[in-house]
Amino acid sequence: MKLSYLNYKTLAGILLTIGLNTACTDDNEIDPEQVEDGRWITVAAARMGDNPGDGNGGTLIYSLSSEDAKDPTFSIAPFDNGFIVPSNRTARLQSSEDGNTIFNISYAGDTGGNYSKYTVEGGQDFVKTGTEISIAPYVGSAPRWIKLFDGDQTGSAVYVSAEAQFDDNGTPDDASDDVYLRHEATMGVVTLDLVNSSINEFQESSLKLTDEEEAQGYYISRIDMPTLNTAGDKLYIGARLSKVDPATGESDRNGEILGSKTIVLDYPSLLNPTVITSAVGHGNTNGYRSINSFEYNGSVYQANQGDPNGSHILKIDANNQYDDSYVFSLDDALGTQESYILAWRPASNGKAVVAYRDATSAEGVAGAQGFFALVDLEAKTAQKITDIPYEADFYLFQYQGFVANGSEIYLTQAPVGKNGNIYVVDTETGEVTKGAELVNVEGSHFIGAF
Amino acid sequence: MFRNLVLIVVGMFIIPLEMYAQTGTLSGQILFEDGQPVAYATINLAKTKNHTLTSENGWFELTNIPYGNYQLEISSIEIDNKVQQIKVNSASNKLNIKVKKAEASVLSEVTVEGASVKREIETKGFSVNVVETKEASLRSIQTNELLNTTVGVKIRQNGGLGSNVSYSLNGLSGSSVRIFIDGIPISTYGNSFNLNSIPPSMIKQIEVYKGVVPGHLSDDALGGAINIVLHKETKTNFNASVSYGSFNTFQASANGLYRFDDSGFTVKASIFHNYSDNDYKVSGRSVVVTGLGGVQTPITARRFNDAYRSTGGMTQIGFTNVKWADQFLIGVTGSSDYKEVQHGAFMTIIPYKDRFLESDAMLGNLTYAKKDLFIKGLDININGLYGKRNRSVSDTVSWAYSWNGERATDFRGNEYQYSWRSQQEGGPTLSQINRTVGSVRTGLSYSFNKDHKILFNHVYSSIDREDSDALRSVLENTFRGTRDLTKNILSATYEMKALDERFKANVFGKFYQQNTVNIDPEIDEESNEIVDDITSANVKDNGYGFTLSYALLPKVIILTSAEKAIRLPNESEVFGNDGDNVVANPSIRPELSHNYNLGFKIGTFSYKKHDFTITTNFFARNIKDRIGLPIETSLNVNDETILYENQGNGTSKGIEAQFEYEYNNNFGLNFNLSRFDLKVINRGVEIDVPNTPFFTMNGSLRYSLKNLIQEDSRLNLFYTMYFTDEFSYLVRQGTNTVGDDFFKIPTQISQDLGFSYVFPSNEFVVSFDVKNVFDKPVYDNLSVQKPGRAFYLKINYRINKF
Repeated sequence: MKLSYLNYKTLAGILLTIGLNTACTDDNEIDPEQVEDGRWITVAAARMGDNPGDGNGGTLIYSLSSEDAKDPTFSIAPFDNGFIVPSNRTARLQSSEDGNTIFNISYAGDTGGNYSKYTVEGGQDFVKTGTEISIAPYVGSAPRWIKLFDGDQTGSAVYVSAEAQFDDNGTPDDASDDVYLRHEATMGVVTLDLVNSSINEFQESSLKLTDEEEAQGYYISRIDMPTLNTAGDKLYIGARLSKVDPATGESDRNGEILGSKTIVLDYPSLLNPTVITSAVGHGNTNGYRSINSFEYNGSVYQANQGDPNGSHILKIDANNQYDDSYVFSLDDALGTQESYILAWRPASNGKAVVAYRDATSAEGVAGAQGFFALVDLEAKTAQKITDIPYEADFYLFQYQGFVANGSEIYLTQAPVGKNGNIYVVDTETGEVTKGAELVNVEGSHFIGAF
Repeated sequence: MFRNLVLIVVGMFIIPLEMYAQTGTLSGQILFEDGQPVAYATINLAKTKNHTLTSENGWFELTNIPYGNYQLEISSIEIDNKVQQIKVNSASNKLNIKVKKAEASVLSEVTVEGASVKREIETKGFSVNVVETKEASLRSIQTNELLNTTVGVKIRQNGGLGSNVSYSLNGLSGSSVRIFIDGIPISTYGNSFNLNSIPPSMIKQIEVYKGVVPGHLSDDALGGAINIVLHKETKTNFNASVSYGSFNTFQASANGLYRFDDSGFTVKASIFHNYSDNDYKVSGRSVVVTGLGGVQTPITARRFNDAYRSTGGMTQIGFTNVKWADQFLIGVTGSSDYKEVQHGAFMTIIPYKDRFLESDAMLGNLTYAKKDLFIKGLDININGLYGKRNRSVSDTVSWAYSWNGERATDFRGNEYQYSWRSQQEGGPTLSQINRTVGSVRTGLSYSFNKDHKILFNHVYSSIDREDSDALRSVLENTFRGTRDLTKNILSATYEMKALDERFKANVFGKFYQQNTVNIDPEIDEESNEIVDDITSANVKDNGYGFTLSYALLPKVIILTSAEKAIRLPNESEVFGNDGDNVVANPSIRPELSHNYNLGFKIGTFSYKKHDFTITTNFFARNIKDRIGLPIETSLNVNDETILYENQGNGTSKGIEAQFEYEYNNNFGLNFNLSRFDLKVINRGVEIDVPNTPFFTMNGSLRYSLKNLIQEDSRLNLFYTMYFTDEFSYLVRQGTNTVGDDFFKIPTQISQDLGFSYVFPSNEFVVSFDVKNVFDKPVYDNLSVQKPGRAFYLKINYRINKF
């Protein structure tokens, strides 16, 4: 009995080894030598949870060399062979500028708020490095965080909670003479040392709008996307406004959409927040899951969302104020309507790839169809990239990552539940190269390259 | 209205019911010649349908016997069968009968044919288990633990005693499973009177109906129902017990009944008290303390904010076994509980301090039951409840605490307060929900003869709900909506038996009606006054089903049943929830499910002293129009509001099986297993539902020793094993992925041991239980650890005579 068990185990071992070897030689052979002149491209894939395209069934990552990423005959299957990032809901990933490290902060669940980093070693091999640390005590277990562009030194996460304040006119039991005053919005900002896995700084402060805006019931209800300015002395944080009806204190969904706002605070002290308002764009600046504003040539360029006139790219100058002379409407540049920037990324030359939807988007299985455009921040022009195939089920809402390598930008393309490819856009020439095949599974999609 | 009620009640007392044949009750005790009681002997009143089994102490009771002379037949494998002439000529007739012990040689061919209540329910055709609480009530066993060992039932509890519980029947869980107390939806009683708090000693039996629910349990139970049947004995008795054990767990309960034999006047009361610190040890990836810079050190911690207390009782007075009523009782049910909350759905690195929930309920109740009302064969059963129940949540501490139970320090080494100023993210709360609840259940049945019966049932339930939060301003509280919900569920059932009871069938139809009213105060633009904006939604639907049972051989029975079951959308699904930014969708449709069961019951076969029974059931559930929230997209992410919608379909398919073995009435073995597949289909894509234990097994052993230490004493030894197969919190991943371990809930095996010692007088029983003997980590939910090894001692006292 004992003997046969041993035999069985040995046999299974042999079979498994053969199987694994065959699987490896088929499509994922990783040769570390290849990476010498290129870099790692880590592809992120979001598996379906309950609903096609919800991405709640786990985030998987898989890395390949930039050379393989450009090879259309190369094929990867992250859903079968990837590493599952430890996050209960779709992970918000960041990568080091050289692509050798992946940073993650777990979103929700028992480890929500835990920071971890992994050394990229190709394929499904991600080696955990550094110690475990959590930012949940400061910004909650579903933190909105982003890596600052300071040479992979710092990450920052933000949190806001708002509470209505009333004046009861000295009669606490009589509601008829109660008056809504304003919402007290408390912001928490934490900065994290990505290298040493420790907390740098945490500050809490109260956010104030103008008296007039507050009296109308406006308040900052969600914040996200901290970005460091060129001088490195201010942090910009994107904001979303909500409104209540001052007469009842109940949510008011029909109010006017105000000019886009950004919170500016001192860095690294995280003190003295002020709110700046754009005269060009309206709506939110807090983005969704991918970085929404970038530093370029001394200024910070920021996309807005939910703008009644279509998304704009806004400019914040070195004086930490919106530059209202910079008017870049995506609707106008593309000659379309209802444009909405879902994710974007400029290369070092000031030319960017923008993921967007607009009035021409079809209603796909998981929401509106997405497109890519090539954008020039200086010329304020935009061109839809037509060399990438778009299907109705091509969905970019959860899209998170582009790799900017010199003037090249790597992106992933695959409709929900269908195979796709990596594409490399040369922002200088506008040339698009179809790269490695991305093998998909039912109901799932790809959320970017890192 | 009230006056009319008084008239009816008074009328019931006055109207002489002489026109009906007089009936009486026959009760007594069957004893061996040496005075020891004869347990489980069959008592049969010859030439009538009236029969019963004696209790463990030899007691029996037969009711509704028309006055006259009879032959009483007493049989059991333990005795020489005996026939005794008796006379029933008064309301209450008593006799004690002594019988001879059977000779060893005659034992082999005596069979027990009396069908117990349990067997009778279990052979009707439903996929049902009847859990008897008699033995468990003498031990330190919670009602939920008892249910968890039942085949096809999985209990998932978020911690120790008193923590939140979810029930799953054949894979369907949450609001698909309805729970009843004596046929009244448990939502009427509220959180303080539930399966966590009611001691098994108050319960006679628990019926678990899977997939197909009989007409008399009327609610929109999509996946099944659990009905808790409280004691309805009409014999004078008194029981009391106290139990103490690990984690400072103290439980006490007492119940008693006194019946004046002459008048039938009956007083019934039961009380319970449960307390536990639940300070059991936990460890794992989230149980850490943090130091300078946020550096984490894992520790083994004791839970420090998890205490639970529940207290309650029920008292009833009235008349039992009188001419005009088998039961007429009015009374009060009162209960309250307090539960500290250590963490949210998961154990995270930030445990809660001083967050707690409180609830209480005070309900008046009325019970009326009468067999053969006006005419023979017409039975009526009325159960009513009306009262108030309240629930509150308190979370006002803003300081952060660490798993060591002390104030946590931040990365600078200072104590700190959370940005959200409460323990749970979302801000401080002192919210209070007050509900006025009412429920009336009426059952009427008529037996044409012993083989044909029709039943009509109606359940009305209403909930008026009012929310407030002391931490919100009066203005905000004023403009908060209120929700009222009324439900009427009507059912008609036809039951038949044929071929000498080898064939049994049951056909039923159910009609559901639910009215939800939303009252939202707002300011009238013209008059500038506060007016109520009232909207209401009325949902109607119907369902139907059948059961068939056919005995291929006398002891091989096929059981099959099917139902089109409905779950009506609940108030938040219809009207949304302001706090969660969910808005109304009055056009939402009910969820519906086609449920099928096909099973066999084989046994009980007896061979020499060996008895065994095998039960098995194959089941399928096909759910349509599942209600859920839509996924977040760029189109709705900034809308701030979402609404519930009918989304997709789902299926659950599987098998369950149970094996019971008994030897010589003193050794018992019970083993069961359940395995199923649960899938949902949304927009054409099918997935396995994650976070579901698909495979579970339970086993238990019992052994009785007589005359240990003392004459006439009995020692029972118990062993129970629970097995839950590994499952993942995440949907099934690819064949070669890595990192899956993070989401896995590993295979769990937990074992309990216990004994109970019945003292010779039969009045005292002492029991001792060890749970989770090998101190294995057990989880129902990802990372939420349940108690480790624990010890409990319990003393029971009971008397049946005064």
